This record gives sequence, structure tokens and C-alpha cells, in this order.
Amino acid sequence: MNMSYFQVNSRCNGCLACVENCPACALAYEDSGSTRKLLHNMTLCARCGQCWRVCPQDAIEFRNLLEGGWDPVVTLELVRCKVCGEPIYTKPFGEQAIEKLDEALSDLCLRHRQRISALSWLKLALPKGRMKRTEK
Amino acid sequence: MIVGGRKPLEEIAASIENYRHVLIVGCGGCVTVCLSGGEKEVRTLARELSHFPKYRGFSPSFKTAAIERQCEFDLVKNFLEVPTNTDAILSLACGAGVQILADVFEPIPVVPALNTTFLGAADEPGVWREKCRGCGDCILVYTAGICPIARCAKSLLNGPCGGTQGDGNCEVDPELPCAWTLIFNRLKKQNKLHLLEKIRPPRDWRPAGANGPRLRRRPGLGQSPGK
Repeated sequence: MNMSYFQVNSRCNGCLACVENCPACALAYEDSGSTRKLLHNMTLCARCGQCWRVCPQDAIEFRNLLEGGWDPVVTLELVRCKVCGEPIYTKPFGEQAIEKLDEALSDLCLRHRQRISALSWLKLALPKGRMKRTEK
Repeated sequence: MIVGGRKPLEEIAASIENYRHVLIVGCGGCVTVCLSGGEKEVRTLARELSHFPKYRGFSPSFKTAAIERQCEFDLVKNFLEVPTNTDAILSLACGAGVQILADVFEPIPVVPALNTTFLGAADEPGVWREKCRGCGDCILVYTAGICPIARCAKSLLNGPCGGTQGDGNCEVDPELPCAWTLIFNRLKKQNKLHLLEKIRPPRDWRPAGANGPRLRRRPGLGQSPGK
């Protein structure tokens, strides 16, 4: 549902004081048949509050324009660390990185990359018996 | 836009160290765009002040808020909520916003966290330059859209001084382009060099503020009762 941030309460009587006084031309109206429709364009709106100031009915719920919610923009597939499950990058990011770097990104988070790298060094540096204790 | 820069952390901390509960308030207008007083800067400042190690007495506790514009009395009065135990407000707005908060929430002390610097625009990301002095008597139509009041170091009205360097920069600051060289070059492109032949007399600086604080009244605007 496309919910407008600009909302009026039941006191609105369609007098158009807000439309006439909007300095950003972000309010308009449509008279069609037996109805009048008030229109708002969020991309034009400067949130200056002029509509709220001039409304003789005190009908404009201006707080909605100051405390709006979050709109979802895009949803992308995530790649998570194969050890702990922490999100590390998105799948399209990984695919584009392969093209630029000529190698795949690691599917480990920074912490586990460092730990596994350190363990590999230990395997090289320590005798086999000691390595088992370290791995615990 | 109005451009401001944050004061040094030590100065801000010293100005609030006698208050227990401080509300840090950002502004969603100019200072958000110039990356000095928006919601992100509010959070950053709250974090830095919470970890500041050199308070002489107790460390204040911080809450944060932001409003679309701090420079509008009725918006602030109706929509900015200040917790009841607030001892001081730390404002990240320009000087106009700081004063409006002080008016609305009197007698709570309002402390500025920014130095308001100039009316300007971004030359490139992260670099703002002064473009306008707000002199109240705009002459940009004669100067090819380049303001000599704000951008000439001497605010000259009748062409360059003798200090323009060979590279077209200013003698006051060798990194600063000479405004009158810029004006000449653009007027030449516009075939309007004749504009430079007119002598401009010493100007009346009263519209620039020399006659006291300025007021602009826009007739015809109504106000609904009770606001």
C-alpha cells in the first residue's frame, strides 16, 4: 500500500488554503464528478510547514512529515560466513567483485578468516602433537 | 546554504561539563547537507562526548534528537520534545537555530556545538566555499554571477586591485582565485565587458546590516489561530 506521508484528519473541509499557500507547489487537487481529491508530491515537498501553519481547520497532521517510517528500497540475497553465519556481503556484490578481482571473495567473516589463517600458520610451525592441543 | 563547522571537542565538553543531563539536538537543514549538524553528526558527537576522558567533575549523560529545521519557532515548539530532566541543550544548528531553541525552551541553557561560518556552496564533495555575504543589495547581474563582495578579499566594487597575481589569483591568498579576474573572464565570454566601464559609487551598507539587525516582512501570509 502506498501510504502518503502527508495526512489530514477529519477536520479537513477541502478549502484549499494549503494548496494555495504551498511555496513548493507540492500540493494540488482534482475535482472530478462529485468529489474533490487533495494530492501531495513528496519529492516536491520542502517540509516547510506552511500548509500546517495556514490551515484554518488545524487538519494537517504535520508530525507524519517529520517522523516518517522506512520504505524498503531493494531486497538482495546475502552471503553469510560459512562458520558463524554473520552477513558479509550480497550475492551481486560478490559476483561483481569476481569480475574486477579475478578471484572469488572469501565466504568467511574477517574474524574467521584471521583465525583460520592463524591456524594454518600454526600447522606449519608446530609439531603434529602440539597442533592437536592448540586446535582445541 | 549556511555552512558551519563543529567546534573542537574539548571546547564543547568544557561548555557542558556542569550539566548532568544534556540533550544533543541536530538540525535537518543546511548543516545536515554540509555534514556538520545532521542526525549522523549528532550520534557521532554523543559517542565522542560519552567517552571524553577529561571532564573535571562528573560526566554528563546524553540523549539525542533532531528536527527538520531548528530555525523555525513554531516547528520547534510543537514538534521537538525535550525530556523533563534536561539541564542543557547542545545544538548542532547554525546560530539562528541555537537562538530559536534558547527562545523556545527558556530558561534551559542552549549551548552551540558549531561555529556558523558563511553562506556558501560545495566546490567539490567535502569542500565548501563562501559565495554570498548576505549584503542585501545584490549586484550579481552586473558581475556575471560572481559576487565581489563575498569572493574578493577586499570586497571591491570597481574591478581588481593591483594585487592580482600572474596566475589570476589573489595577493591576499595565493590559493584564492581573484574574483575580478573570474568576473572579467566570464563577462568576456558573455560579450558584456561594457558592464565593467560603469563606475559603481561607494555603496550604502545599511541593507548589509550596518543599520542594526535586519528584518524581512512578507505580506499576505496568514496564520491559523492558536499556532
